[in-house]
Amino acid sequence: MNKNRSKEYDVIIIGGGATGAGTARDCAMRGLSVLLVERHDFATGATGRNHGLLHSGARYAVTDHESAAECIEENMILRKIANHCIEENNGLFLTLPEDDIAFQSQFVDACTSAGISTEIIDPKLALRMEPSANPDIIGAVKVPDGSVDPFRLTMSNALDAKLKGADILTQHEVVDILKDQDRVNGVELFDHAKKEKVKYYGKIVCNAAGIWGHNIARFAGVNINMFPAKGSLLIFGHRVNKMVLNRCRKPANADILVPGDTICLIGTTSERIPIEEIDNMYVSKDDVDVLIREGVKLSPSLATTRILRAYAGVRPLVAADDDPSGRSISRGIVLMDHKERDGLEGFITITGGKLMTYRLMAEEATDLICKKLDVDKKCETANIPLQGSEKSDETLNNVSQKVYSVNGITQKSAKDRHGSLAHKIAKGDENEDSMVCECEGVSIGEVKYAINELHVNNLIDLRRRTRVGMGTCQGELCACRAAGLLCESMEEPGKAKDDLANFLQERWKGMSPIAWGETINEIQFTSWIYEGIYGLKPDNN
Amino acid sequence: MKFDNIIIGGGLSGLTCGIKLAEQGKKCAIVSSGQSAIHFFSGSFDLLGKANGEEVTNPLESMKSLPENHPYKRVGLDKIERLTNDALHLLVRSGLNLNGQADRNHYTLTPMGVMKPTWLTLSDFTSFDQKDSFPWKKAVILNFSGFLDFHTLFIKDGLKKLDVQAQIKTVSMKQFEAIRKNPSEMRSTNIAKEFDKENAIEEFAQKANVLSDGFDVVILPAVFGLFNKTIADKLKEKIEKPVLLLPAIPPSVPGIRTQITLRERFQELGGTYLLGDNVEEGVFENGRLLEIRTNNHGDIKFEADQFILASGSFYSKGIVATHDKLYEPIFGLDIDGDSNREKWFDEKIFNDQAFMHYGVKTDQKFRALMNGEPVENLYVAGSVLGGANPLKEGSGAGISLLTSLHAAEQILK
Amino acid sequence: MKKEIFEPYNVSDNNFEQCVKCTICTVYCPVLEVNPDYPGPKQSGPDGERMRLKDPAFYDEALKLCLNCKRCEVACPSGVKIGDIIQSARIKYSKSKPKLRDMILANTDIVGTMASTFAPIVNTAVALKPVRKVMDSVLKIDHHRMFPKYTGLRFETWYRRYAEKKQQEFKKHVSYFHGCYVNYNFPQQGKDLIKVMNAAGYGVHLLEKEKCCGVALISNGLIKQATKQAKHNVEAFKKSIVDKKMPVISTSSTCIFTIRDEYPHLLGVKNEEIRNDSELATRFIFRLIDEGKLNLVFKKNYKKRIAYHTPCHMEKLGWSIYSTSLLKMIPGVELVQLESQCCGIAGTYGFKKENYQTSQEVGKPLFDQIENSKVDFVATDCETCKWQIEMSTSSKVQHPISILAEAIDVEATMKLWQK
Repeated sequence: MNKNRSKEYDVIIIGGGATGAGTARDCAMRGLSVLLVERHDFATGATGRNHGLLHSGARYAVTDHESAAECIEENMILRKIANHCIEENNGLFLTLPEDDIAFQSQFVDACTSAGISTEIIDPKLALRMEPSANPDIIGAVKVPDGSVDPFRLTMSNALDAKLKGADILTQHEVVDILKDQDRVNGVELFDHAKKEKVKYYGKIVCNAAGIWGHNIARFAGVNINMFPAKGSLLIFGHRVNKMVLNRCRKPANADILVPGDTICLIGTTSERIPIEEIDNMYVSKDDVDVLIREGVKLSPSLATTRILRAYAGVRPLVAADDDPSGRSISRGIVLMDHKERDGLEGFITITGGKLMTYRLMAEEATDLICKKLDVDKKCETANIPLQGSEKSDETLNNVSQKVYSVNGITQKSAKDRHGSLAHKIAKGDENEDSMVCECEGVSIGEVKYAINELHVNNLIDLRRRTRVGMGTCQGELCACRAAGLLCESMEEPGKAKDDLANFLQERWKGMSPIAWGETINEIQFTSWIYEGIYGLKPDNN
Repeated sequence: MKFDNIIIGGGLSGLTCGIKLAEQGKKCAIVSSGQSAIHFFSGSFDLLGKANGEEVTNPLESMKSLPENHPYKRVGLDKIERLTNDALHLLVRSGLNLNGQADRNHYTLTPMGVMKPTWLTLSDFTSFDQKDSFPWKKAVILNFSGFLDFHTLFIKDGLKKLDVQAQIKTVSMKQFEAIRKNPSEMRSTNIAKEFDKENAIEEFAQKANVLSDGFDVVILPAVFGLFNKTIADKLKEKIEKPVLLLPAIPPSVPGIRTQITLRERFQELGGTYLLGDNVEEGVFENGRLLEIRTNNHGDIKFEADQFILASGSFYSKGIVATHDKLYEPIFGLDIDGDSNREKWFDEKIFNDQAFMHYGVKTDQKFRALMNGEPVENLYVAGSVLGGANPLKEGSGAGISLLTSLHAAEQILK
Repeated sequence: MKKEIFEPYNVSDNNFEQCVKCTICTVYCPVLEVNPDYPGPKQSGPDGERMRLKDPAFYDEALKLCLNCKRCEVACPSGVKIGDIIQSARIKYSKSKPKLRDMILANTDIVGTMASTFAPIVNTAVALKPVRKVMDSVLKIDHHRMFPKYTGLRFETWYRRYAEKKQQEFKKHVSYFHGCYVNYNFPQQGKDLIKVMNAAGYGVHLLEKEKCCGVALISNGLIKQATKQAKHNVEAFKKSIVDKKMPVISTSSTCIFTIRDEYPHLLGVKNEEIRNDSELATRFIFRLIDEGKLNLVFKKNYKKRIAYHTPCHMEKLGWSIYSTSLLKMIPGVELVQLESQCCGIAGTYGFKKENYQTSQEVGKPLFDQIENSKVDFVATDCETCKWQIEMSTSSKVQHPISILAEAIDVEATMKLWQK
């Protein structure tokens, strides 16, 4: 990693979510010198803990026109610039017998006025288009929803920023904001790998830390009231649906089922939580039960589909009123120039919004940064494709087939995950083709590529880059193999064992709320192998 | 179809029980719903490795501190020592070569390079007297290129802590070129199948001898002797330096060989081993199980005087969990476990998980309870019994062996 | 005391999801061991299924290398129907069209009808080296293969001419699904069945026009035709089982396995009404003996050392115990139970030039067992296993029913129930 501590950056961006990475990309593309800092890894906050839904905006059309209009605009942009991170699978808004069919026309009108194309579909035809949908539906509307992989999206933004000269530090946690009187001039970071504090200086510090921006602002001595609302989701073992399924009613619990890569997920619940709990999210029994109960209404086959995990994220909303559910709040973008708001120069906060509008948020933040730095450059992020999405799909097929791998599954999976960057997965000897993760088709070559080029510090990071351990067995077969490969690039194998133990713990966190059926069998098997036979412990070092 | 005894479950408990009964002239059948967990056998049978969080040196002694509902306590500590001898002899008669004793644990090296206390170890593997001393100073760790289930760096790290200098080397052999081309099948068993054919062993030994020049010991993955029972010994003969094999799973090559050895012993004694069949229900009368109906045999039911349930834990579906209950899926026997799923787990994976203790309820004679009443002729053995966390205690194999022998003795009385 | 009713509340009903990735199936796959081009049961089955549900483009034509032996299913401790998943994926996703060769091999009844009509010519022709060379190069049917000889007098014709009338003399009756092999190639096996069943007191009848069970059509991708024949057969079985209360027995383990299990699992043809009463003759006879309804008397001078080979589909059915139990009842039989291993032929699979080598390598351990067993002959319930073993070893093969027919003392047996 290139980093120059004596150098003063034009801008230091805090937060490795989609907004932070997007802002880093935008700033770098406009010629600024950029440092992106992240305490854990890319997309570990709200970015990576949602539906992975490429919103058409239809969901907000009735309640929040502005958000809906933003969504459809960004939706169309992402189709152009991030084709390897999204799937254009379309969505259906289903009306069930218990829902009010009159809402459908209100919904269609609202969509139309927000610029979202809709098509009312005969329920019978809808069932042919999406056989997993509840056969009792009385209405269906087709909208341009899709799926987006937030990990890939964020990583591609970061890679692009890096290519344009940005420096990136993961595993670096902000412990203080450095100030010179009324002016912010840098950050103090704790390097989790080296266990030491370091300082970096910049003309502007951009707080893009999502819900954690609450604490970052505190370091700078300003106050932002964040509104943490927890949303829980369930991941199912395979793709039940091909299209995104929504309930055609006002937003409520568990009314979206999104197919994403090999799985599908249902969410969310919504519950206000104290700000102290944002680092310790737990999915309760009630959350799980309500998600299943409601999910089954969208797609009855979910009742008999294996659940892989449960997880929760926090919506990073800025408190504006005292709505206890957090839903009627606009998901609008909040950009604060703390010079104007609090009299503090050199510090801005970009928050609110949502994954769908990350690019727009980055654009607005970068516009402000440029204005402050007196740089006159236009934003181009809506026109230039991201790393991995540069080429059309046909070319991609040719590229990936020529360049590496004789195996269809690893080859196609890698192409799906890395787009045109898949050509960087070296064709070594056939060892490189061997699968580390058999559920998700991750080859040794892909793991090595991720370790070498995608800022991987540990197995959990590797999972976000490659889907190692995200499949049915949740790491039972592949965790140790991946740990062995990661170990080769680490100084201390002892640490790699701890990393492996942490990885299993992280997998368990998502499995334990839904550990019945095959999951409890699987975890017993996994424990026998790792603890019983290998003798792995929580602390091996 | 009439048998003297029918055993449900073809794993370690089921086979042990079946062999014991068949040795005494009983006409036995084992119904197994698939291949058993012996396929992941580490190569060592544990009796008691840990008690109260402390490593155990004398299992027989440390058993005294176990809780009263522990299967060992319920068998009776006065019987345990004799049963450990019986178990050893039964396994040896079946054709397994084992080292170890019940009143003093020895140690084996795990595939993470950690010493672990245990009771009986297959002669494939090396038993150590002490956990902190390793008899060799310089070790070479050999792996097959492309084989991902042997974690050489972890072993090296473990050995470093034992003051052993280790070097990792890779061996390529043309015999493995074919399977290496298959991206998922460079597995321990597929390597073992090549060695089973015998012609690869000579070449490998030569390579190993060259690569181990200057080292005291050769460390290898245990991929020798799947269906061929003599290969592991041949390997050791041909390699000049001492050979230390470490488990490379899943699946376990010596484990599968162990399963086959025990199954063959059972069949040689006249036992009927029905693989790939599921018991679907039982016919009960006056508190007795009269006959069972299986998936494959349908209306041709299996009768027996006594039945043994050795159907394993959750992994083997001896017990099933749904979102709101636990149940025993064959007969609906009483379960010792909490019905509230929030009580099943600890949020830390390496902590003692409550569900690991769950099992079928029995009376003092290990007869299954159904609606609170014992079924007169249905005995329960092995990991489908509750009352212990075999993983935390290092007691899984011991419980399987001893409770199944105990059940057999009840029947033979 | 009924067991708790299983409630499918988020305990996966999607069978492939029951896989806990233990890898046991890979140990018992006979193909993987000899042909690494095959992705293996775990990858082809549950792992691949998940990928294919994401995107059908993940389908790999290499799945056609699966023998459909179902040994993976027998081994699986988690109840995953691996073989069914693989075969269903072939049906659902495969784009490769069956070749002329596949059509010829698959249409056992049409080809059988033609061939048996001209039996002397066909038998001579296909036995000729030049003809086999041509078949090898043009049709890709391996020249090592000897086609089973076609009979000049089909079983059905023989039955109508010589046996049908006599069957009415019995009080109890069964229908017989003879299958293509008995009809076109080896009527003697059908005659043996009638001999044994008559001795047991049962009249044997043919179904109202049976059609080939379709196993070869399924494995060659001719699904439409297979489904049509399956529906036809289920109706024919119903007429016997439901209307006339006559169970259907067969001497072919593969036919009966296909009708009982592959019809509903792979073709979606429902068979609940007939499944329980469609079985192998050995199982039918065993049940009678087990229930005390029948005693067989055997000739004193029948003395043989016999090795029993468990065909894959018998392993899956779990029914070899019936055949071996019957053989063990013959006082003069010394039975050697061979370790259950695939013979490699898998119906038409081994006839194809591209599979010949795989087929023979798969079978080698079994052939070695047989050569070392020093038996008079091998017994097995499957006709294609018989061809494979007879071609690949020095041993002859007999069906258990034929062995019973030879060993049974018909008169003495009949006297027991005629009393």
